[in-house]
Amino acid sequence: MIKDKQYYLDLFGVDEEILRRLAAEGIARGGDYTDLFFESSTLGMLLLRDGEVTSGGEHLDYGVGIRVLSGEKTGYAYAESTTPADMLSAARAASAIAGGGAPGDLRVNDLLRLSRDRADSFAEAAANGSRLVRKYFPGAPNPSADRYPFRQNWADTPMREFVPFLNRLDNAVRTRDSRVEKVKAMLSYDVRDVLMFNSLEELKYDTRPLGSLSVTVIFSQNGKYDTKSVSRSFRTGAEMLTDSLLEEMAAEVVKGVDERFDARRPKGGEMSVVMGAGASGILLHEAMGHAFEADFNRKGQSVFSSRMGQRICPEGINILDDATLKGNRGALNFDDEGVPGQKTYMVEDGILTSYLHDRISARSFGVSPTGNGRRESFRYPPIPRMRATYMESGNADPESIIASVRSGIYVDDFSNGQVKIGEGDFTFYVRSGFLIEDGRLTMPVKDVNIIGNGPRALADIRAVGNDLRVDDGAWTCGKEQNVPVSCGIPTVLVSKLTVGGE
Amino acid sequence: MLTPEEIALGRRCIDLALAEGASAVRVTLNKSLTDTVGMLSGEVDKVTHSLDRSITLCIFADGRYGTFSLNRLEETAMQAFIRKAVATVRMLAPDPYRHMPDKDRKVTDALTGREAGRFDPAYEAIDTGKRLELARQSSIWPRKDSLEKGFSLLSEEGEYSDSIYDTLVLDSDGLYARHTLTSYSVYYEATVADLDGNRFSGFWWDSSPFLSGILPAIGSCARKALDRAVAQIGPGPHPGGRISLAVQAGCASKLLDPLLTALSGFSIQQKNSFLLDCLGKKVFSERFTVRDMPRKVGSPAGKWFDSEGIATFDAPIIEGGVVKQYFINTYIAAKTGLAPTVEDITHPVVESTGDCRSEEDILRLLGEGILVTGFNGGNSNSATGDFSYGIEGFAFSGGKITHPVREMLMTGNFITLWQHLAAVADDARPCATYAIPTLAFTDVDVR
Repeated sequence: MIKDKQYYLDLFGVDEEILRRLAAEGIARGGDYTDLFFESSTLGMLLLRDGEVTSGGEHLDYGVGIRVLSGEKTGYAYAESTTPADMLSAARAASAIAGGGAPGDLRVNDLLRLSRDRADSFAEAAANGSRLVRKYFPGAPNPSADRYPFRQNWADTPMREFVPFLNRLDNAVRTRDSRVEKVKAMLSYDVRDVLMFNSLEELKYDTRPLGSLSVTVIFSQNGKYDTKSVSRSFRTGAEMLTDSLLEEMAAEVVKGVDERFDARRPKGGEMSVVMGAGASGILLHEAMGHAFEADFNRKGQSVFSSRMGQRICPEGINILDDATLKGNRGALNFDDEGVPGQKTYMVEDGILTSYLHDRISARSFGVSPTGNGRRESFRYPPIPRMRATYMESGNADPESIIASVRSGIYVDDFSNGQVKIGEGDFTFYVRSGFLIEDGRLTMPVKDVNIIGNGPRALADIRAVGNDLRVDDGAWTCGKEQNVPVSCGIPTVLVSKLTVGGE
Repeated sequence: MLTPEEIALGRRCIDLALAEGASAVRVTLNKSLTDTVGMLSGEVDKVTHSLDRSITLCIFADGRYGTFSLNRLEETAMQAFIRKAVATVRMLAPDPYRHMPDKDRKVTDALTGREAGRFDPAYEAIDTGKRLELARQSSIWPRKDSLEKGFSLLSEEGEYSDSIYDTLVLDSDGLYARHTLTSYSVYYEATVADLDGNRFSGFWWDSSPFLSGILPAIGSCARKALDRAVAQIGPGPHPGGRISLAVQAGCASKLLDPLLTALSGFSIQQKNSFLLDCLGKKVFSERFTVRDMPRKVGSPAGKWFDSEGIATFDAPIIEGGVVKQYFINTYIAAKTGLAPTVEDITHPVVESTGDCRSEEDILRLLGEGILVTGFNGGNSNSATGDFSYGIEGFAFSGGKITHPVREMLMTGNFITLWQHLAAVADDARPCATYAIPTLAFTDVDVR
């Protein structure tokens, strides 16, 4: 939610003149560009365990991160107070990257003009054919275009108001299945006020809510135990805690428990894999999303480093990273460099058309930043990160995709994934799924890892369903820093992946 | 590092919380300073300077409990925060099992913070110039041309960093427990391409509480990362099946960590543990012994107390395959009736079986199989112990490495896996928090 500018200036105890002075400080020692990222966050947590909400707490975090760029090099420091002296000290520490001496006698206006002149020269020097390169992002945030408006601020709502909801969720789960042994339900929220200013004199501000609810259940049957978890996360206020959400999560967490106790490990090896719509988007996140983050490509580390403009998967496939999905966990009005959130097509009709850029990589590649400069908090400099990554729907009927597989596996419930950027080898962990035998779902399977190679897996996509679903689970990406993301995909058939098994 | 004023503020927080109606309070003050110099292909790429402070309050009030933290160490901000915190605790459900630990279990010998021998006085003399010098010395990129034989070095990325951490735990029963440590580390990742343009990457890291301990690694870390990348060139197939696995020293924490989680009191109490009701029982191979060694002075993970301020102690966790200890804090002890121990493990040390000293000995013992040098993703089921992990490494035959392998998976159950532990070498990396030597397993499912 975007409030008025003065709210943010007052919150951080600054005015525009101080912001300009701090930005100029980085330039004075030879830097090209300075940005300031002020952040005040309120994180709350309530935990239900053994039928009672007996644990909770709140955590406040406040500070400003100051980054100075000199060419593609980064100097970074932060202060946990916003007194002018502490901020100036951080700005000077960050400006050490430029290696310049003491500031000369240039005034603030001259230094900021210098930063702008240098930005102009970067863009002019860029080898970018005839494509338009957007260099500046002026203008005030527009509250009417807010991607996460909310009615009830988590941080202003007494925690006691959330307790009955967790108790009802516990009850709803227990009444659905007599095998429920333990229920753990956790509600967490994170409300962040941010203010960004840079040496190009762009001022942006934002209030980012994030509510997350998870429920983990331990089931027991004939002396055996098994577990299942479900989560939901949205950029919205406390109004997300509705009866329909409660019923949906309670139903989902007990769904498929018979199959979990019956499930076995499949016979492992290379086989066809049908990725169910929704959470299977982890395939895109791991198999290609990270390899398309432009810092890995700028450094020559990614397996896709030299494949821009080439075909990397069959015709008709479009893959994008999107900050514009209203209320989505990956939604952003602006990234953490003040670049507007946007929809970025990485693959169009099977052709690699864009990496995911922050300002550093965009300058390096001579393109516009794509609004992917993100950070965990003011303690970290921004780097290219995904937001909501998904594949657009294709034409195939999901059931016909399953029916087309003679022998393989269908998967739709995942926990985590990982990728080796250089080789492109990726994995993701399947919590549950089914064997496919002669076009039908048969034996339930669980707890297997799947491994493949990104470029090969993309090339091996054989069918794309017409049922795109973006998953609303509490996905967190852990590349150097943790940031909230989401992922989605329609039902997709990959002809060959290696499945763990016995 | 913590100033007398900050410590006084911590004590003041206890008084404020008690004045607001708390029955007991524990305050943890944390302060740390980290400087990092990042290198990219021989050039300084990033310089960061990070000073963090935080104060965490565990508040007991009216038979209820909550945790709160903030990083603005100003008394005016603190008063309003603590008032709200106590009010929040009071709206939670009563929990009769929440209370402060017994005084006689709390640490009494962590007064200076330096008792664990992890503080290096040389830290105070390190300045920006020295950091830049160490970082530049660590790169092998300037020698790139002479190193490239049968491959090209595409990218070398690494960093040198040093830190100081100061933690002080105080409580309303008079606890004073301090832990101060320094840390130096170096990390490198190399990406190479073979003559056909296929990419391979490798990484290496080292760390030490002491500057003198990290200096040898400054000159060798990037080269080890490069060697590990180059060694992967020319991967070949492996038929898989039920085979023997050697797991290289320093990378087996993925196989041990789920066991330690399963021994945690929270997992036991929630019945979310595949080691439920196993205390005192022989569950694993008799060749498997792991001890917690928090009181080893100067070790990379020694610590004199846990988060509640309970004194740590050296003890066997699994001995000869028998589960000897769960990690039971005050809350879980009250809730389950189990005897309290410590909150969690500090410095696990897997004991050598004595018949193998090195990785070479392990390969010779097993004869044929795969040497795992790294894991790629995967996970496990905490209730059943079933796991499935991506692995990479080298096939070996006749006790000798034959070729690299990748894109393979090991799948099984932790209890079965550790029942098939055949040998443990004596080559744990001295820098590792988890001191795990090269391990030998038989009869593991690999595809």
